Amino acid sequence: MSTALKDMIRNPTVAELELVARYAALKADVRRERLFEAFAQTGLPGRRTEGWRWTDFKTAVSSLDAPKAAPARDPLVRDAVTTLRFTPSGYGVPKALPAGVKLLAKDEVQAMGGAEAAPLGALAAALSGGKTPATLLVDVSAGAPVHLHMVFEGPGAINAARVVFLLRPGAELHLSESHLGGAALSAALVEFTLNKGARLNRTVYQIGGADEAQAVTALIEQDASAASVQTVLAFGAKVARIETRLVHRETGSKATLNAAYLAGAGLQADITTHVRHGAPSCITRQVTKGAVLDGGRGVFQGKFHVPRTAGQQTDASMQHKALLLEEGAEVFAKPELEILADDVQCAHGNTSGQLDAAQLFYLRQRGIALVQARALLTEAFIAEALEGAGALEDVLRAEASGWLNHAA
Amino acid sequence: MASMLKIEKLSASVGEGEEAKAILHGLSLSVPAGEVHAIMGPNGAGKSTLSYVLTGREGYTVTGGTATLDGADILALEPEARAAAGLFLSFQYPVEIPGVPVMTFVRTAMNAQRKSRGEAEISAPDFIKKSREIAKVLSLDPEMLKRPVNVGFSGGEKKRLEIYQMMILEPRFMVLDETDSGLDIDALRTVAEGVNALRAPGRGMLVITHYQRLLDYIKPDKVHVLAKGRIIKTGGPDLAHRLEAEGYDGVLAEAV
Repeated sequence: MSTALKDMIRNPTVAELELVARYAALKADVRRERLFEAFAQTGLPGRRTEGWRWTDFKTAVSSLDAPKAAPARDPLVRDAVTTLRFTPSGYGVPKALPAGVKLLAKDEVQAMGGAEAAPLGALAAALSGGKTPATLLVDVSAGAPVHLHMVFEGPGAINAARVVFLLRPGAELHLSESHLGGAALSAALVEFTLNKGARLNRTVYQIGGADEAQAVTALIEQDASAASVQTVLAFGAKVARIETRLVHRETGSKATLNAAYLAGAGLQADITTHVRHGAPSCITRQVTKGAVLDGGRGVFQGKFHVPRTAGQQTDASMQHKALLLEEGAEVFAKPELEILADDVQCAHGNTSGQLDAAQLFYLRQRGIALVQARALLTEAFIAEALEGAGALEDVLRAEASGWLNHAA
Repeated sequence: MASMLKIEKLSASVGEGEEAKAILHGLSLSVPAGEVHAIMGPNGAGKSTLSYVLTGREGYTVTGGTATLDGADILALEPEARAAAGLFLSFQYPVEIPGVPVMTFVRTAMNAQRKSRGEAEISAPDFIKKSREIAKVLSLDPEMLKRPVNVGFSGGEKKRLEIYQMMILEPRFMVLDETDSGLDIDALRTVAEGVNALRAPGRGMLVITHYQRLLDYIKPDKVHVLAKGRIIKTGGPDLAHRLEAEGYDGVLAEAV
């Protein structure tokens, strides 16, 4: 390794040196270099990185040895829906695609806006490609709603993947994603451009082991009257971050960003969102619910940025509610509203607490055992966050319920 | 006849540590199978505490004495195990459970009890049939049973839902804590009909009430007067009428 490469990250860890070596082995590309440099500014983000205080990848990813456990089962895969699979050895392109979808596998790396603000998104982009072309572009045109499923899974040391979606004017995409772990470090970057009137329904399911790190970064840009609904169900990993950065860039755009996280012992789930109201009269609705057991950690960081002129007539609400199911559970939350415009409606709420003792006793008096009573109440508590998943709502609820009745 | 519920010298406190407050002071009482006993008493006598101690609510500590159901100690059991043993509490203030529909809740409860007794689960069609029949007896709107437990229900609807649960779960021993409070006369009659329908040779009942009115509809075999954490007097149904006419003061003074 050349001195210049070694010096890209200050005081690199063993894992970071391995990442540098992986980068160096890939085909040289100016944009790839720029992306890796954006990552290298922070290296693996950790306690000292702004926005990563509670989600410390630097400490968690000490080496890149492949984890022992196989990837988790995928509850969202459906026979009738085309599946794109992303593994450490690249991705497969299915032969048959739904009408209105074009796939373009590009050798050249695509530029990424705001790469410095999303270091693990930049890392995913910088390391994607090798055995398969660097960037997978998915072009969705108007017509009947398109259904697609994506799976990100090991086995392997690093699973870096990048997919770029373009939703043409009036297009409608129903996308489900399963991030199943099985790699020491999984970094996925999914980008969306929603042209005028386009609609996106995105469901994200994340699960990982206590020796795995996962980062799922999404960048969403919405044109006039575009609408997106996102639903996340995260079970965490040693560290897991589901980050969504959304920009309303034209008038009348709407976004719903909901998430539920359930974190057991030794696991952490981080839901981070950043929404910029870059045009007037846009709407954002956000509900995040979480439940955490002894030794687990939940993190919620939400930010609405409403600029002075562009953000007029913004209508936005942010709610985060967490349950500490046992002593020793941890929840960290940082809701932030940065509002510079004066004609806006912005509301936010943030609470964390325990299950209601009177409700628990009522259920137990009727013969429902403590664990099941707790599961029933917690499932009801997080249900609101899963309502936007449409046909997949029941699948997500069943996964949550299964976890609550057995793991919890 | 052998006692079904037997409480002997039961003492209990509420709260913990230095905050603990003794409420029951050596309460003794026994209800034979097939009988309905009423407990009457002034405010603060310990009526609700007794119902919570018997059913195992957190925050109540037994400091002495015993309570058995058919000879088996119940005080050592978890609340759900007491329920599976057949003990049911109709709450004075039924709890709202947002997000959990009545039918889901009651069927979960029924199957949990069956499972712990080693019985097979009830099938969905059988459950729905049974639920419909009972709802009809209690004049409960079937739509209500699809709504979250007690959320947005009136006081009367909440009490009727308690009796619905009691009828569907078919407990062996029932404690009714101030079931009459918040009920108008028609609702009271409906609720009492439901309770009376459950009277059976193998079943016992403890009806806790503040007023004699409920006992016009649910005729007790015996009436106990609870004051200052003890049963101070026991008598027949006429004792309830005497209390209504003379107030608690007379009976309390007599007992001292």
